[in-house]
Amino acid sequence: MPEETAKANGRPQLRQPSPGFWAEAWSRYRRRPIGMLALGFVLFLTGVAVFAPAIAGTKPVICRYKGQLYMPCLGYFNRSWESPVFTKDKFRGTYPKNLQAKDPDSWAIWPLVFQDPYRRVRDNEWPGRAENPSRDEGHPSRLNIFGTDQYGVDIFAKMVHGTTIALLVGFVSMGLAGSIGIIVGAIGGYFGGWVDAVTSRMTEVVMCIPTLVLILALVAVVEKPTIWKTMAIIGATGWTGIARLTRAEFLRLKESEFVMAARATGAGPLRIMLRHILPNALAPVLVPITFGIASAILIEGSLSFLGFGPPPPTASWGSILNSARSNLQLWWLVVFPGTGIFLTVLAYNLVGEALQEVTDPRLREAKK
Amino acid sequence: MVTFLLRRVLLGLVTLAVITLIVYGLARSMPGNPLTVQLGESDPSRKLNPADQQRMLEIYGLDKPWPVGYLQWLSKVVRGDFGRSITRKQPVTQLIGERVGPTILISGTALVLTWLLAIPLGLYASARGGHLDERVTGVTLYVLYSFPAFVAALFLQVIFAVWLQGTRWELPLFGMTDLPSDAGWAARSLDIARHAILPVICQTYVALAYCSRFIKANLEEVVRQDYIRTARAKGAGPWRVLVRHAFRNTLIPLVTLLGLSLPALVGGSVIIEQIFTWPGMGRLFFESIRERDYPTIMGLTFMFSLLTLAGQLLADLLYSFVDPRVSVD
Repeated sequence: MPEETAKANGRPQLRQPSPGFWAEAWSRYRRRPIGMLALGFVLFLTGVAVFAPAIAGTKPVICRYKGQLYMPCLGYFNRSWESPVFTKDKFRGTYPKNLQAKDPDSWAIWPLVFQDPYRRVRDNEWPGRAENPSRDEGHPSRLNIFGTDQYGVDIFAKMVHGTTIALLVGFVSMGLAGSIGIIVGAIGGYFGGWVDAVTSRMTEVVMCIPTLVLILALVAVVEKPTIWKTMAIIGATGWTGIARLTRAEFLRLKESEFVMAARATGAGPLRIMLRHILPNALAPVLVPITFGIASAILIEGSLSFLGFGPPPPTASWGSILNSARSNLQLWWLVVFPGTGIFLTVLAYNLVGEALQEVTDPRLREAKK
Repeated sequence: MVTFLLRRVLLGLVTLAVITLIVYGLARSMPGNPLTVQLGESDPSRKLNPADQQRMLEIYGLDKPWPVGYLQWLSKVVRGDFGRSITRKQPVTQLIGERVGPTILISGTALVLTWLLAIPLGLYASARGGHLDERVTGVTLYVLYSFPAFVAALFLQVIFAVWLQGTRWELPLFGMTDLPSDAGWAARSLDIARHAILPVICQTYVALAYCSRFIKANLEEVVRQDYIRTARAKGAGPWRVLVRHAFRNTLIPLVTLLGLSLPALVGGSVIIEQIFTWPGMGRLFFESIRERDYPTIMGLTFMFSLLTLAGQLLADLLYSFVDPRVSVD
């Protein structure tokens, strides 16, 4: 834009276009060591979540079996991504011995840690390695660095696979909450009048019901809870703050000159809302979304902890904590997942804080 | 003023009706009903035969569709009758009356502790702003703020009930008291206090971290005002400026925050009470959802929402009362 105006005025053209809002915000963000550290931690967690089956698992990352290459580890993401060959050849989930026995020429690249998040690793499953300890004997050791639970399932493997859930909960539920909040707030703020009265009242009603009360009631209504339903419920109840902020931004921006200019060129309400107002209202809305991710992870943790989460085979951090409740002697069931939830929440809060400081012009002025 | 109050109260009543309607609909849509959940879990052989069950449902008025049930509930509430708990065979008001004391014991203590600690901490933080010691406390408070209360509760349980078991620092894990009700008054209070320590800590630290940061942020804004410079220029000492001139002007948002914490004071915390099996309101709500005890769910929801709305109204009124520049009209 600055270049065009410069040309039109006949002045010499600017050598460099001035950086946009987001580029400028990013350059300020980069100068915040704590914010960068937190962002780095979130990226690290994303890496762990994506490569979870290659970090801890009992299925080979890549293997060559009867002349074909397979990636059985993908079965951890989705059962059907594990080749049916292994079911047909009766592997029954144990790969190391079966691969050797059924095809002597086979080879495999194994995950970094040979442990399973869903079941106990049995005696000699990995040649020469003893069974996982169970009950109260599962202290953290060289083989089970975070210990094992009552049933001998490795906690490190559970934590690694639980990362996927923790991150998904944050993104999916806040994606949903963000969409609902932005739509409701935008409609209310832009159209005003009775539309605004209705949406504002709706927001207020949802706000007045205590969050956990509403969530517990909704979870009880859903008959078979899955992790996706939990995410949907957290998202469907967490949009009120975002809606209020979006409404305030839209109320402010719809009076501005560029909106009037857009209207003068004949743009319809949808186009004005999406193309002209929304990009300018996004920065303040992004901050509560980041904080919302932290609180969504927290809520999922507490729901699983209360036993209202997804059913057992799902490995979420909160469900490990739930299993610790009746066995407080097994301190490693409390310390590792608890620290995991805490660090993740802290990281998202710090990212949100830094984001707020680099995008809010008032705070920027104050710091000078 | 009167029109404002009237408007707000009327709007509040409408909101209250909508909230209770939603929660009633949700409660009645949960699978099962109080009879099946209660009897089926305790002893499958004691399951009611369908005819008996139908008769029981009729007695409780649960045979009609839920909108009718809601209207019946609403008409009773208007006459001041909250009904009887189905699973506990007690009037809901009496049940709430029994549970509200233990909850206030925890949340009231936590609230008082929070403010007693948060105000000096906030003042200290803004007085020492930028110094190393202030930054250390600031970071510590921020870390505490992000520390989930239920994780902290478990950590504390592991430390005080398992690792320190047998020492004199051991604290009880569950419940409100281990003593029989005929034990002496002093012994009972001491025992209840020992049981209350961990839940109070868990409820205090999060609020403390939040409030002291809030106070500091407000003070930072006020300190930049011209009248603070004037106060400094006329020779007032740094503490006097901070307390008499700056802090007094941050009272308004503090009062608002206090008003908004009203529902939590009576409502308690579902998770903390559940972890420590504290017989309070939060636990009552959790249990009533599990038992599908509709009258109790509704009574509690009504109370929570009423308090939330009252807290908001109170905050708005106080706001215009404390700061004459703000007008409610």
